[in-house]
Amino acid sequence: MEEIEKTFSEEQAEIEAERCLYCYDAPCEAACPAHVPITEFIQSIRTSNLKGAREIIQEAHPLIETCGRICPEESFCQSVCTRIKMDTPIKIRELHRYITDNTDPSKNLELVPATKERIAIVGGGPAGLACARELRRFGYLPVVFEKKQLGGIPANEISATRLPEEIEKKEARFIHQNFVSEIKDATIKSVGELNKEYGAIFIATGLSDELDLDIPGNNLDGVYYSRELLKRAKSGTKLPHFKRVGVIGGGNVAVEVASVLKIEDPLRDVEVIYRRGIKELKAFKKEIEEAIEVGVTFQFLAIPKEIKGDKRVEGLVVTRAHLDEKDVSGRRHPVPVPNSDFIIPLDAVVIAIGQKADVYFPEVKRDEKGLIKVSDGLMTNVKGVFAGGDIVRGASTVVECVADGKKAAQSIVEYLEGGKNV
Amino acid sequence: MYKKIDLSMKFLGICLENPFILSAAPSTDEFDIAYNGLKAGWGGVILKTTSVEGNPVPLKYPMMSSFGSMSRKVIGLGNIDLISEHHIDEIEKRVKTLREVFPEKMIAASIMGAKKEDWQTLVWRLKKAGVDLIECSFSCPQGSMGEESGRMLAQSVEATEKVARWVKEAAEDTPVLIKITPQVTDIVEVAKAVKRGGADGITASNTIPSLLGLDIDTFEPYPSLFGKGAYSGLSGPAIKPITLRTIAEIAKNVDITISGNGGAFNWRDAVEFMAVGASNVQFCTLPMHYGFRTIEDLKSGFAHYLSDIGFNSPLDVVGKALPNIKSQDELPSPKTRAELVEEKCVGCGLCYSACYDGGHMAIDWDSEKRLPHFDDEKCVGCAMCMQVCPVDAIKMNEKIDGSNSVHYFVEKR
Repeated sequence: MEEIEKTFSEEQAEIEAERCLYCYDAPCEAACPAHVPITEFIQSIRTSNLKGAREIIQEAHPLIETCGRICPEESFCQSVCTRIKMDTPIKIRELHRYITDNTDPSKNLELVPATKERIAIVGGGPAGLACARELRRFGYLPVVFEKKQLGGIPANEISATRLPEEIEKKEARFIHQNFVSEIKDATIKSVGELNKEYGAIFIATGLSDELDLDIPGNNLDGVYYSRELLKRAKSGTKLPHFKRVGVIGGGNVAVEVASVLKIEDPLRDVEVIYRRGIKELKAFKKEIEEAIEVGVTFQFLAIPKEIKGDKRVEGLVVTRAHLDEKDVSGRRHPVPVPNSDFIIPLDAVVIAIGQKADVYFPEVKRDEKGLIKVSDGLMTNVKGVFAGGDIVRGASTVVECVADGKKAAQSIVEYLEGGKNV
Repeated sequence: MYKKIDLSMKFLGICLENPFILSAAPSTDEFDIAYNGLKAGWGGVILKTTSVEGNPVPLKYPMMSSFGSMSRKVIGLGNIDLISEHHIDEIEKRVKTLREVFPEKMIAASIMGAKKEDWQTLVWRLKKAGVDLIECSFSCPQGSMGEESGRMLAQSVEATEKVARWVKEAAEDTPVLIKITPQVTDIVEVAKAVKRGGADGITASNTIPSLLGLDIDTFEPYPSLFGKGAYSGLSGPAIKPITLRTIAEIAKNVDITISGNGGAFNWRDAVEFMAVGASNVQFCTLPMHYGFRTIEDLKSGFAHYLSDIGFNSPLDVVGKALPNIKSQDELPSPKTRAELVEEKCVGCGLCYSACYDGGHMAIDWDSEKRLPHFDDEKCVGCAMCMQVCPVDAIKMNEKIDGSNSVHYFVEKR
């Protein structure tokens, strides 16, 4: 499938790079969880030093091809760009992508010999890979446990129209070849399984399960879960045949699966059904824009009440909502309007209301949502066992998971070497 | 529907409907192009330099190159052009036709010769054809005829005076401009030589010898002709400051009419050229880049300027800045300090960076608030910070002793 967003041309990139003020102590860099030296790489674009620019980004971030495409820049670097006070922010992510699209991973690596302990990293997603790379740079031997394709959600679920498979594979392969000591095709379910063989453990398993929608009819034929569909789409499997589908939810996954369904069959009606309003959508701006672009429609202020049907889905009963005061999430709370039920005729319903953690690793303490509790240095209650990424943060972004992976690696080195060499 | 402000003026006795002239260059080398320029509203035209018959003009292509950024590609334009390839018979014909079609415009021609007879023959023929004015190219960076290869006539004070005299002798009452180069040790000496030679005015100045750049993979200079390149004549916004200095130096030291040329790109530049002593302004790179339609904003901007400032004629601008141009040692010694206009500041920190690494370490950086703080003790008032501020949030002040009043120095824009 073709990517929706096109990379900058040389002219576009140079003109955009010229707009950058090259701020001192730049706010964009501080706002990037991975602390990518943004002004430095933009300066290198200005001088046509793309190889140098690539090295600058790659030094700070292991998944730059991925982040160049899917990072929600409006939440990070671009949200604090000084240029906002003058006109519009620099399109930082697109400049970043311009570099990665026009250069190959720099193989000009100089690594210390890997002579230190083996470290177990459970999960080969962004947090795990970032941690592995950092540890290898310190001379450790990272062993990654992963049953699926390396790369986590970006590799296995994010739509190919936003992140082509070959891009993600190339990037994961580069990390695998250069930084990962060994990949083990095994599921680890407890700290105890990783005996004394490993100097430390980093749990970065992400959120593997999806939240159920507890309404009547959720077991009918034609009810699907979003991430299952995304995985099938990404692996190239054809999706079930349905013509009118409602996607329940308002986050990135909901919007993403809606786009995927619409792109796969443009004649299919795809509607995102969300209980709050347009302003409360949690999905990122770019994803919403792309969904609208491909023809996804939205039904706002609609609280799902019941999935109707005999054996198969025939429709969704929803109650109209109005928005009340802000709730704990900081967004206005939907309140049902009495006697306002109506039915949306559908032949399939996709549930995309969020994800939850699995219940493995009984040794580590979790919070009420099932997320692993960690210290500032990302250590769990078990000595030598660290955790990061979505399993700690809840659903988050690639760049935040990368930041966790980097931080965990530093903490592991500190833990093993007592503050030396950090 | 708007009332037009009159921009007409006299220049060496010639009536100009506005002070904007197309200079001797590619834009005036074809009849149709010169015709279109005048039709578009330019005040006059100086046809591209012609010479006596029989002199071959070995033009080489590509001849243009430039430097700039992606969003402003031509900051400096270079050419390895020579004089017109057209025969003097052809130029004579054009002068006659243009004279007939545009009786109210200035029709001038530019000439270059080697021997006295060449110069004088050219003058006689063009004068007879009806030119308003003759401009003599003493400064083509690709070299002048009869001089050493690559050397410009105007680089010799003696030659300048001698040839100016030949030309004026033949031109009699037809005004003569000598087009000089800033590429000399003392521009005032050259200007004095022009005056001694009897010419009526000076075109100050011309393109400036330059090397536009190199391909750093092949080490070919630009423009590259199968790997080889030559020095180019540089024009465009890049040379404006040099031209301003050239005009000012001449105007301050020699009593002679000046036609400004080299680097003016808009009406504001034209005002500056005139304020340092030029009576009109010649253009070439601007119309070559954006077309003759640029005359519209030149006229409109200049007219609004005149009416806003309260001048009646373009000539009122001429020389207005000259009394203010001094040598460095004649300047007063104010005690000035940088001052931040906090509500304009966007917090980029560029002033801090510039002062810390290139000034006097007089700015502290508040990284929490993203605000610079100026240390009046350390600040010497160099104004480097003001140059780099992207939003003009820095002013240079001078606290008047013994009172609370503050004087602000004029800003860049």
